[in-house]
Amino acid sequence: MKLTTTLEDVQATASRCLRDARCTYGSWPENQPLCPIYWHDPSFSFSGGGYLFTVLALLDNKIDFDQSMADYAFSCSSCRACDSNCSLIRSHTPYVDILDIIRLLRREAVKRGFVPEGPAMKIYEKVKGNGDYGEVSEFKLPPGISSDEAETVMFAECSHAGPQKEISEVVVRLLEKIGNPVTQFAEKGCCGSTLYDFGFWEQLEPLAKAHWETMKPMKDKTFIFINPHCQEFVVNRYPEILPDFSTVDNQHFSQVLADAFKDGKLKSKNKGTIKVSYHDPCYLGRGLQIYDAPREVLASLEGVELVEMERNRENSFCCGARTLGNYVPNLAEDTAKERIKEFEATSADLLITACAYCKGMFQQVLPDKDKDRVKDLAELVEERT
Amino acid sequence: MLAKKESNEKEVACQELREAIGAEKVRDDEITRVTYGRIRHGFDRMWPFRKPCFVVFPETREDVVETLKLANRYKIPVTSVGTAAIVLGTTEGGIILDQRRRDKVIEINTDSGYAVIEPGVSFDKLTSALRGTGYKCSVGTMPGPGTVLGQGLSRGSQSFTTRYLNVILDLEVVLPNGTVFSTGSSHFENVGSHLRYGPYPDLAGLYTCAYGAMGVITKAAIRIHPVNEASRIHFAGFDNYSDAVDYVKDLINNNIPEHTFIWDWHMYLSWPLASSDMDTVMPKILESDVREPPEGTPYNMVSTLLSGYKEQVDVYEKICAKVAKKCHGSVLSDEEVEKRFPATLAGFNQQYGDFHYREAVHWSKGRFAGWYVFAEPKDIKEVEKFAVNELTKFGKTINPISYYSHPFDFGRSFLLRIAGFPDPDDIELRMKIGKKFDEMYDLALKRYGAVPIRPIGSDRAGTYMQVLRSIKKTLDPNNILNRDAGLFEEGEL
Repeated sequence: MKLTTTLEDVQATASRCLRDARCTYGSWPENQPLCPIYWHDPSFSFSGGGYLFTVLALLDNKIDFDQSMADYAFSCSSCRACDSNCSLIRSHTPYVDILDIIRLLRREAVKRGFVPEGPAMKIYEKVKGNGDYGEVSEFKLPPGISSDEAETVMFAECSHAGPQKEISEVVVRLLEKIGNPVTQFAEKGCCGSTLYDFGFWEQLEPLAKAHWETMKPMKDKTFIFINPHCQEFVVNRYPEILPDFSTVDNQHFSQVLADAFKDGKLKSKNKGTIKVSYHDPCYLGRGLQIYDAPREVLASLEGVELVEMERNRENSFCCGARTLGNYVPNLAEDTAKERIKEFEATSADLLITACAYCKGMFQQVLPDKDKDRVKDLAELVEERT
Repeated sequence: MLAKKESNEKEVACQELREAIGAEKVRDDEITRVTYGRIRHGFDRMWPFRKPCFVVFPETREDVVETLKLANRYKIPVTSVGTAAIVLGTTEGGIILDQRRRDKVIEINTDSGYAVIEPGVSFDKLTSALRGTGYKCSVGTMPGPGTVLGQGLSRGSQSFTTRYLNVILDLEVVLPNGTVFSTGSSHFENVGSHLRYGPYPDLAGLYTCAYGAMGVITKAAIRIHPVNEASRIHFAGFDNYSDAVDYVKDLINNNIPEHTFIWDWHMYLSWPLASSDMDTVMPKILESDVREPPEGTPYNMVSTLLSGYKEQVDVYEKICAKVAKKCHGSVLSDEEVEKRFPATLAGFNQQYGDFHYREAVHWSKGRFAGWYVFAEPKDIKEVEKFAVNELTKFGKTINPISYYSHPFDFGRSFLLRIAGFPDPDDIELRMKIGKKFDEMYDLALKRYGAVPIRPIGSDRAGTYMQVLRSIKKTLDPNNILNRDAGLFEEGEL
């Protein structure tokens, strides 16, 4: 969505909603509940359509912006289940994501000074203070593989998700094992996905422009991403907000790992048998349609048996990490607990994911003794190669 | 002052209900009230905005009973809705009873052939539950998340009506005073829902097309149908609707089809489209005149579900070809349909293969504006000409002008549902269409004996409405139930 988009611009799209809640559940015949807020409190208001109606009601002066509107807007977990399952809104021209309309609602709330207390407010204050939400990246490529001439570039800036740092360190060691030359992009700063998601759009455009200027000289190389949120944002959203953006080749690190096993550059060691379950992160799965690579990696690991959770691939259930609003009490935690319950039902030993937000969220709701049962795919690969 | 008193009373009522059934089932926050304030056909500015005082999400029958007793005591209007209530008007300051959480399939009886469901069960849910049971249910042309009960009670169009008038067998009803009763055979202890009525009068009829005004349904038994050894969809094309009706009637008279549907070409091309086709196929349809299909595109397509033993279906197929020829039509082979109308075939395969409904993405083109009537076979032919002629007067701006038509009850009555899709924001045009539809209902009734599917004003029904009002006054003396949902004139009895 262009950053100049207004609520008025999405009115026609929003008005196509038939209020049938098709946005809340997965494909027939399983019909599995996928929208976390709707799963938590089934009600039209807490569905993609409810958000669309709220936008229409705002435009029709039936409701005003206030703090509760911000809490409501930020309570959607941004899991993209609505856009994957509602065909009607998708069929309207011009197409606008339901989630983008929710983001626009957040943007309008922020513009009016309404930001939910808690993590969203912390982000807001940081963005207001620094004009950015990024951290200095400690990602350093080992000299053995670091080469400015390399055809692949690590997009290594994300460091504001709790477990991202430890995952990044593992990634560096695995890159060294794989041995292919690689170069690195960006020293600091958020790619913009968090700012985009949570309506901090004023700071977003200059930030994205600056990134693109740095990326441009490398645009013919392949960019490798660790965090699916960054990848989805750069690949799918930069073209919408940067007029001179040109498509870049890109891979998620799970795809790099899958290729490395295929090419024999990574070899599995027998470390005993273990059952794992894989949680499809929303932005890697529904956002980028990358479902197979992580499973191929798991299949390449000797002694590792994948036991799927009931909801998987495009019907995966969110971890709840991006739920920052307080409209529905405990929504983020309850969402993560629901997913953990599903994981426990598989009797798997480990819950593997490929997104730092998911890992952090699951660890947050697990007791201390079980926190190690959640791992990033890269961490498991490092242990078993 | 009075308004303030009323408002305080409603706050007290809300609190009281929370204590009775659980706070998590009653919401009165502004966002909830606003998002339930205009539920007719989506958030449609053409319809009045009526904000409820609170919304109730019952999880048990007892929750419904408690809600109605309280509403009756406080005289607060209640509108009972499901997931996709697109025909109901709601009441300002009333209670919305949203039964979406009551979505259990309670029983699938494959001996007698019925399913007992809660009111929130959607077509997607029931069709899914029926997989592997050897039974299928009727599916409508509404979206899969729409409730089976909503469709059945409003007697909308649906498959398998060729042999029946109604899918409903038995209903469990709650009255405003808290009385609970069943309309069919399950009213007797330890008896299932196989019999719609007897030895007493057919009370389910009182709740069909009553739009919730006579009681709140908390459970329903609906017909399900066996999946036979073989089933096949047969397609035939016709240059005009009259021939298509003759074809359908002939087949029915000879006990051939399990079900038939007549589609105009705008409908059979646009209804089953995938989102990706909207930029390719749809523009051509939008630019066309429905009365003039392109060369080689049949004006009407008739889809016929043939089922039974394989030998039987083989013979039926031959009979269909014979009758199509007799009625000046032609058989469209599967190969031809797949080649020329792939989305259409995919849509039918989904509906008659998996027995669930393909989401109608053509609704994204504009706001649905539909006109529907029932008429006898000879009359429906005239009604079609009349309706197409009237709708095309609005020009291409309301394309696709989609209609489908199908028989009920062995062809005694045919439904014709024709719709255009005007720009949702063009309120003036839509008001004009609404006015035109009212005129068309009047004329079709006078000229062709065509009965409208929805109430068109109680003055036309004379003593029928008087009796109905008397019954309503007895069952719902405070007039709290679905007061503005359309059965009676808005507001008062």
